[in-house]
Amino acid sequence: MPVTSNASAQAAPAAASQRGRGALIGAGLLALALLPLVAGASPYMLGLLISALILAGLALSWALLGNLGGMVSFGHAAFFGVGAYGSALLAGKLGVPVLLAIPLGGLIATVFSLAMLPALRLSGPYFALAILAYAQIFRILATELDWLTGGAAGLQRYPGLPTVLGFNLADRAGSYVLVLACVVVFALVYMALRRSHVGTALRAIADSEDATRVVGVNATVLKTWMLLLSAFIAGVFGALNAHIIGFLEPDYAFSGIWSVMPIIAAVFGGYRSVLGPIFGAVVIYLFDQVIAKSLIPVGHQILLGIVLAIMVLLAPNGLSGLVARFLPRLAGRGLSNAEKGHA
Amino acid sequence: MTELILQALFSGVLIGSVYALVALGLALAFGAMRIINLAHGELVLLAAYMAYLVESRTGLDPYFAIPLALVVVAAASFVLFLLVDRIKDHRELNSLILTFAIGIILTNAILLVFASDVRTTASPFLQDAVSLGDLFAMRSEIIAFVLSLVLMGALWWWLKSSWYGRAVRAVSSNRGAAKLMGINPTRIETVSFLVAGALASFAGVALYTMSVVQPATGHALTVKAFIITVLAGVGSIPGVFLGAVLLGVTEALTVTLASSALQELAGMVLFLLVLFLMPNGLFGARARRG
Repeated sequence: MPVTSNASAQAAPAAASQRGRGALIGAGLLALALLPLVAGASPYMLGLLISALILAGLALSWALLGNLGGMVSFGHAAFFGVGAYGSALLAGKLGVPVLLAIPLGGLIATVFSLAMLPALRLSGPYFALAILAYAQIFRILATELDWLTGGAAGLQRYPGLPTVLGFNLADRAGSYVLVLACVVVFALVYMALRRSHVGTALRAIADSEDATRVVGVNATVLKTWMLLLSAFIAGVFGALNAHIIGFLEPDYAFSGIWSVMPIIAAVFGGYRSVLGPIFGAVVIYLFDQVIAKSLIPVGHQILLGIVLAIMVLLAPNGLSGLVARFLPRLAGRGLSNAEKGHA
Repeated sequence: MTELILQALFSGVLIGSVYALVALGLALAFGAMRIINLAHGELVLLAAYMAYLVESRTGLDPYFAIPLALVVVAAASFVLFLLVDRIKDHRELNSLILTFAIGIILTNAILLVFASDVRTTASPFLQDAVSLGDLFAMRSEIIAFVLSLVLMGALWWWLKSSWYGRAVRAVSSNRGAAKLMGINPTRIETVSFLVAGALASFAGVALYTMSVVQPATGHALTVKAFIITVLAGVGSIPGVFLGAVLLGVTEALTVTLASSALQELAGMVLFLLVLFLMPNGLFGARARRG
C-alpha cells in the first residue's frame, strides 16, 4: 500500500522523540490517576471516580468506532448491557470465576454485535439509528425473558469481585485499580491499533472509501473488526460495572444513559484522540454528578446537552483539539492527531 | 377477535396520520440540508406542551394553542437551523451530534418547566367517543385525522405549485443547479425548517389531544419519524403517509394482540426488517447505502 509507506516515512524522524514524550505524558497521567489512592480519597469520591472510569472505558470504545470505523453509534448501551448481563449470569448461574466471566461478558457482547453486521453497510444516520433500535430491542428482551434475566425485577444474586493474592478487588480501592488498569490496557491497544497498518488503512477509508477499495483494502472487513472490538470493550466495562454495583435491571443496564454519556464524554474530550474520551469522561461525569446535580436536581442533563452543543459548534475536535492547537509542544502524538487534519 | 383487530387497524390509521405529519417535517429538513434533525420529535413535544400550557392556564380548548405553538416552535426550529448552518466540517456526523444535543436540551428544559408527569387533554368534548359502525374513536382522533389529511394536501399543493415549494424541491434534488437558477439555498433551507416547524406544531397539538405526552415522548417521536422515513423514503407525501399508517397499525396490533410493553419493539423490528430486506424502502425510494 502506497499510503502506508508514505505515512511511516514522514513519521520516522520525529518518532523517537515523540515516543519518549508520549511515554512521559502517559507516566504522568498514571501517577495522577493513582493519586486518589495515595492521598486517601473518601469512599464517596472513590466511588465517583470508579463510575467515571467505567464511563471512560465506554467512551473509549465509542470513540474507537467513531474515529477508526467512521461510525456514530447511538446505541452503545446494547453492548454495555449485554456484557453486564452475560458476565453476571455466567458467574451467578454457572459459577464461572468472576475475573474470567468479565472478559467472557465482553465476548458475549461481541457475539451479539454480529447481529448488527448488516447495519455496517448503511451510511451515517441509518447506522446510528439502526444501532439505537438494537439497544431498545435488547432492553425489551432483557425485560421479557424473565426466566433468564429475572425480568424487570432484576438480578442480584451473583458474586462481586474476588480477592486476588490478598488484594481485595471488591473494596473501593481495589475496584478503582482494576477499572483503571482495564482503561489503560484498552487505551494502549487502541494506540497500537492506530499506529498499525490497520489504523492507516482505516484513516484512508475515512478520507475516501471508494479510493481505498481501489487499492485493495477491504473496508467492510476492517469496519467489522472495529465494531467487534468496540463491542468487546463496551461489554467488558458493562461486566465490570455489574460486578461492582452488584445489581442489574433492564432499565438500568440498557439505559439510554449508557448511549448518551459516552457520546458527550468523547466529543467533549475529543473523539479523534485516545486520551480525549478518557479525560472527557472523568470531567463530564464529575461535572454532572457533583456540580450539575446540585444545581438542578431533576433535568441536570440539560447542562450536558449545552456542553455537547457548544463543543460541536466551537471545538469539534474537543479538548484535545484545543490543547493541540494552543500547546502544540505538549500535545505530541499521543494526545491528539487533530492538527494533522482529521487523519 | 375480528372486532378487536378491526378496531386496532382503525386506531392505527388515526394515530398514523399524526405520525405522518411528524415524519414529513423530518423529511423536509432532510431534503433541504441532507441532515437528519434528531431534535425534530422534541419540536413536536414543545408544541404539545404549549397546548397543555394554554389548556391548563386558560381553560380554553387545546386547539387555541396552535398560534402560540406555531410561533414558539417555528422560532425554535429557526434557531436550530442557524446552529446547524454553522457547522462546516464533517457535516453529516457533526450535525447528527448537534441536533442530538439540542434534543437533550429541549427534553430537559421541558422536564424542568413542566415536570415529568404524563399530560393529556382534560376536555370531555375531545375525549367523547364517536362510533362509526362497530368502530369507536375519540372525537379528538377524528379531528386530528382530518386535520392531518388537510395539512398533507396543503403541503402537497405548496410543494407542487408555489414558487417556494418548487424551490424547496429544486434545492433538495440538485443544490448546485438550483443555485444557478437564481435560488438562494440558505433562504430555501430556512423556509424548509420553518415549514417543518409548522407541521410539528400541528402534530404536537393533535398528539396532546388524542394521546399522552411526557418529556421522553420527544425522543420516541424522532425515532418513529425516522422509522417511517426508512419505510417510505423521503420522496413522496403519499409514501410517507402509508409508511406512517403502517407503523401506527403495527403498534396498535401489537398492543391488542400482545402487550403494550412490546409496542416500541414492534416498530423497531419493522424498521430493521425493512432496512435489511428492502434497503430502498417499501416504495423503492432513493438509495441509502454507503
